[in-house]
Amino acid sequence: MIGAGHLAPFFGEIGIMDSGQIFSLSALGAQFLVGLSRAMILFIVCSGLSFILGVLRVPNVAHGSLYMIGAFAAFSISTIFGGSTAGFWLALILAPLIVAAVSLVSERALFCHLYEREHLMLLLFTFALMLIFGDLVKLTWGAEYRSIMAPPFLRGSIPILGSSFPRYNLFLLIVGPVVAIVLWLFTNKTKIGKISRAAAVDREMVGAVGINVSWVFAAAFVIGCFLAGLGGALVAPTVSVTLGMDHDIIIEAFLIVTIGGLGNMWGALVGSLIFGITQAFGVLFWPQFAIVFPYAAVVIILILRPKGLLRAVW
Amino acid sequence: MKKKSIWTIIIVVVVVIAAVVVYYATRPPKIARPIKVGIIDCYSGPPAVFGNDALNGFKLALNEINKEGVLGQKIEFATRDTKFKVDIGLSMAKELVMRENVDILAGTISSGVALAVSDYVKTEKVPFFVWISKTEQLTKEKGHRYVFSTGENTYMAGKAGAVALAKKPYIKYWIAGDDYSYGHDIGNAAWRNLKQLKPEVEKIGESWWKVGEPDLIPYITSIVSANPDAVIFCTGGSSMANVLKAIKATGMAEKVPIWIHTATDHAVLKPLGAEAPEGVMGTMDYHFYYPDTPENKAFVKAFQDAYGVPPGFPAFHAYITAHFIAEAYKKAGSVDTEKFIDAVEGLEIDSPVGKISMRACDHQATLPMYLGVTKKVPEYDFVISTDIVPMTGAEIMPTCEEVKEARGK
Amino acid sequence: MVRDTTNLKSAGVIAAIFIVLLILPPILPRFYTYILTLMFVTGLLAMSLNMVVGHGGMFQFHHAAFYGVGAYAFGLILKKTSLPFWMAFAAGPLAAAACGLFIGWFCVRLTRLYFGMLQISLGSLLWAIVFRWYGFTGGGDGIYGIPMPSVLSSAKSSYYFILIILAISLVLIYLIFKAPFGATLLAIRDNPERSEAIGINVRRHQVAAIVIATFFAGVAGNLFVVLERSVFPDLLFWVLSLEIFIMCLLGGWFTFMGPLLGAAITVGLRTFVGIYTEYWTLILGIILILLIFFLPEGVMGYVMEKSGAQSYESGDSG
Repeated sequence: MIGAGHLAPFFGEIGIMDSGQIFSLSALGAQFLVGLSRAMILFIVCSGLSFILGVLRVPNVAHGSLYMIGAFAAFSISTIFGGSTAGFWLALILAPLIVAAVSLVSERALFCHLYEREHLMLLLFTFALMLIFGDLVKLTWGAEYRSIMAPPFLRGSIPILGSSFPRYNLFLLIVGPVVAIVLWLFTNKTKIGKISRAAAVDREMVGAVGINVSWVFAAAFVIGCFLAGLGGALVAPTVSVTLGMDHDIIIEAFLIVTIGGLGNMWGALVGSLIFGITQAFGVLFWPQFAIVFPYAAVVIILILRPKGLLRAVW
Repeated sequence: MKKKSIWTIIIVVVVVIAAVVVYYATRPPKIARPIKVGIIDCYSGPPAVFGNDALNGFKLALNEINKEGVLGQKIEFATRDTKFKVDIGLSMAKELVMRENVDILAGTISSGVALAVSDYVKTEKVPFFVWISKTEQLTKEKGHRYVFSTGENTYMAGKAGAVALAKKPYIKYWIAGDDYSYGHDIGNAAWRNLKQLKPEVEKIGESWWKVGEPDLIPYITSIVSANPDAVIFCTGGSSMANVLKAIKATGMAEKVPIWIHTATDHAVLKPLGAEAPEGVMGTMDYHFYYPDTPENKAFVKAFQDAYGVPPGFPAFHAYITAHFIAEAYKKAGSVDTEKFIDAVEGLEIDSPVGKISMRACDHQATLPMYLGVTKKVPEYDFVISTDIVPMTGAEIMPTCEEVKEARGK
Repeated sequence: MVRDTTNLKSAGVIAAIFIVLLILPPILPRFYTYILTLMFVTGLLAMSLNMVVGHGGMFQFHHAAFYGVGAYAFGLILKKTSLPFWMAFAAGPLAAAACGLFIGWFCVRLTRLYFGMLQISLGSLLWAIVFRWYGFTGGGDGIYGIPMPSVLSSAKSSYYFILIILAISLVLIYLIFKAPFGATLLAIRDNPERSEAIGINVRRHQVAAIVIATFFAGVAGNLFVVLERSVFPDLLFWVLSLEIFIMCLLGGWFTFMGPLLGAAITVGLRTFVGIYTEYWTLILGIILILLIFFLPEGVMGYVMEKSGAQSYESGDSG
């Protein structure tokens, strides 16, 4: 299909598709589903990042670290229960709660004292958290990598569209929209959600009405981090749980919230879909430079709409 | 203002004193000191399993060696974590050489780090023993007087793997792996030999992912969609676990034949336990359960007693490295680098699997290779290699002429 | 701009330190010469960042990308072509400045956080290209064994070369700050709307500042290659960008020499703490938190305050 043959000498030894290769509809479809399932994890993590960005107006550099803590915590919980189904569900509930607790402690002990300071300081603080959490994970769990399996009812693969699709990824395709719906209900139907949205747009007004803005910030931060932890717990059975997960995810997360529109959770959804699916297709068409596809999409979007696709919250 | 000039004087005085103190504190003492080996390896993330295995093998050997010592000294070591990154590995090597003044460098797992450090020691003239990294470039085209390999390399593995694959009826191949020196070298070596042995084979595509790529499912699904007869995976220490996991999750091993060098190694398969896929073809130069000689059994028992787990190939390589170092110093008669190197060349030592020699023309240890297939057996709770076919070092190493030609370029 | 560096006493201190640095290499063991040289390179990088952050007030979140571009341009030309050394040396900063111009032009259309996030995105794109283009840039392995002219090969000679380039760069940066351009940048930093109102073309000045800063980042990249003979994708990684920020903050980003001091302290701590513990990152994080809470003006800023000198901030030093 994409014949990069004329570029071959310059690129050295990359693999190029034989021009005779035709991609069947089923191959495209299968790859689309894989990208979609990855996009679900990205969405869950990035929605948290967007939420924090919207309300606190600070990109949470430590978001990846919290994702990593969620994955490690899920590993530990799952291992205690011997990799059983019960252990899996418990891990999915407890790991994000643990992450939320960690973030609450950090926020109340240190972060909240900085709210009056300029935003750069807040950002640098989250960077410090990232550094510290990274090493705390190393201290707690050691430097070797961990691996957990999907729970018994989600193991194995299903033949879909001529390719073997892991059952667990199918599970992710269901979880993603569920989380999206819950988030929508939260921000539009619950009191906290509505107050958070208001605080994102005009925090002075919210304060003037008598609501403790600091607590709103705390809630937003904790909820955002909860989502990061949930993403980590969900991704754990599919990847090696290892140090360095924080670095990998945070770059993608930053790109996604930037193209989605700062602070806009639906922007995070759009961004995740674009990123996840272009990446999967990139792997199909040009495996060595698969990364070019999502990044090219990012560049094009940012040149045309530098503030992101959807309206930023402020 | 008076305050300012006092500041100036204070600063200058402090700096000068600091410099003098530093100078005297860091001059190497003139008394005789133990032989120092600086180990750079990866002790974090997925590759750590190999780094720790190697370190344990080295320590086990040192326990034996230091009982009588070498030239009246003990051998000491220091370790540094490269995190599988070339820049960190290089700066660790520099620190060990410049600050710790090590006599020998040993390590590492990442072929990228190994090549960079090999280049560094060429100018520093410190012998460097590579015990896990497998790129053939280390002893072939980029080899030199100060680098040695006590592990098998991609040339040997590629040849052995090709021998196994040529016997099978597969024609359409897909090659996929980590996008760095090791990945490309093993892919090239396997394909080059396979094409020679069986000219009708066809490469229908290639995929390369970044080292340590966590999510390999998209790659696996796209490969399976292309319908190859067989797949050659070229993964190194950092993605090996992810590859095997993804293969298991998609059930690929049941549908498509796979060959991966080191797929049958214990250090690779143990952490995955029951998650490791069965039916994967692999090659390896050491198994703790084969050959079942008394020496191997003794080595395995000693290792198991000391560390609670049986040894993998990194432990084996590091173990023989320690013995090479010790025997060479004894033969050389002094802690002199050039004499040491002259002594190592052509040296033959006893190992758990028989005699192993360090070939003089390229500084490559002559190691055997065992082809096998992964399978779960009742005796162990992890997967092992079965249907083992052994090959000798002489059958699979490049000839000295080939090496000379490659370096002459 | 520290207004009293014109004060001879401060100049005297700097001159004294310079002289000490000149005489150190023959008496120091090679490792310490190497570490000092690393401090010079990192110091120049931090100084270049401060041109746009402390002095220009912009959210330059991915400065390391330009540092890496300079290093790779220089290294690639030396390793893969037979062009003369001085040409390769010029190519580094020019390539970095070109990227700075391109990325900067897009970024200045936005303000503050958007500026920063956009720069992280575009800078990460550069990183991704370098990181994954195995055939050209060596990918994750980087490029090592870059040939240097033999006059620069030893630890001592590279020390002196880098020290001299650093000194020249510092003088140039100082002159830029003292020039009307520097004053304009300060005005833009403190009140962009007012500056626009009195007729200053804010965007053009900001782009110019970015181009100059990235030029010097490219010089720092060149110096890195001279010292290490190798390049790695980590030079373009965003974590390094934030680490440079920490260096500026640590030293004091409203002072002139602050970033240099911050870089020296960071490199020194990283080297020596790293020998005793695996957990340098944890310590760096704690230092950063302490800085944010207790010493936002940085070490140099604190020293300046205590000795009664004026620093050039305009009221809110954090």
